[in-house]
Amino acid sequence: MNFLTIFARNLKQGPQTEAFPFGPAFTPERLRGRIEFKAETCEGCRICERVCPANAIRFAKTPDGMTFDCWHNTCVFCGNCEFYCPTDAIHQTNDWNLAHANADKFEMVEHGLIANQTCVECGATALNTAPMVKNAKPPLSSEEYSEVRARCPKCRAKYLKNRKVPA
Amino acid sequence: MGLIPDFKKIATRSPWLYRINAGSCNGCDVEMAVTALIPRYDVERLGCQYCGSPKHADIVLISGPLTVRVKDAVLRLYEEIPEPKVTVAVGVCPISGGIFRESYAVLAPIDQYIPIDVNVPGCPPRPQAIIAGVAKAIEIWRERL
Repeated sequence: MNFLTIFARNLKQGPQTEAFPFGPAFTPERLRGRIEFKAETCEGCRICERVCPANAIRFAKTPDGMTFDCWHNTCVFCGNCEFYCPTDAIHQTNDWNLAHANADKFEMVEHGLIANQTCVECGATALNTAPMVKNAKPPLSSEEYSEVRARCPKCRAKYLKNRKVPA
Repeated sequence: MGLIPDFKKIATRSPWLYRINAGSCNGCDVEMAVTALIPRYDVERLGCQYCGSPKHADIVLISGPLTVRVKDAVLRLYEEIPEPKVTVAVGVCPISGGIFRESYAVLAPIDQYIPIDVNVPGCPPRPQAIIAGVAKAIEIWRERL
């Protein structure tokens, strides 16, 4: 009577087929999918451009600042950029539904802009990147962070050097 | 019910799928096989079926970056498929070349040689993404009929 138990179990379970085109699809939480870029937290170190095996990521200098472009149509979802990014500015979402018509081929781009700013100390034009202060001791307070961020790289180094460290 | 007339439309004219491997690493081909053969994904719900001959095909799934060596064979196969046909590029290789881009042995992107209608990027794409691409292709195919 083994087949009857299997039959009853299958009746109870229902079909195993995913409902996908007619319903929601099962997506794992940590699926490596489409790249997402946050310009606010980017340090501008361009390590992601270097480690990308498919050359999907490209930084370019424009009059407004530095632009970030990731073309999803050549990205192989390896996750190198996310792994090497020091500030988690670039990460992979679990969005896999990227099928599109061929006319939209070159619109499948993740775009970001790191804008130019004027240094509050010396008045030079520099990129408004996130400062590299991960190893600063003691850690920067939020006011100090915004002060560092408003400066150009040279003035940032000066600021961090002259910072009063409580004994 | 909106789905039932749609289902009837698909059932009356079911597109048959044909796979062309244009120098693929077999990753996308495995995913395409999974899309069709495993009951969990089951592309046959959309009325599609894989066929063995290009002469029976309606929707062509192309994987691989079109290597120099297979170019003539792929173009000949593509010519054999009767009109109207809808072409789906599966994986990043036929769309842009992926990691093989700018290689001397690869002629990607494939849309310089073959008109492509739907792109499904991924390395390889998930079976659900392939199903989404096929669903898009079926819509285009119905318009062309």
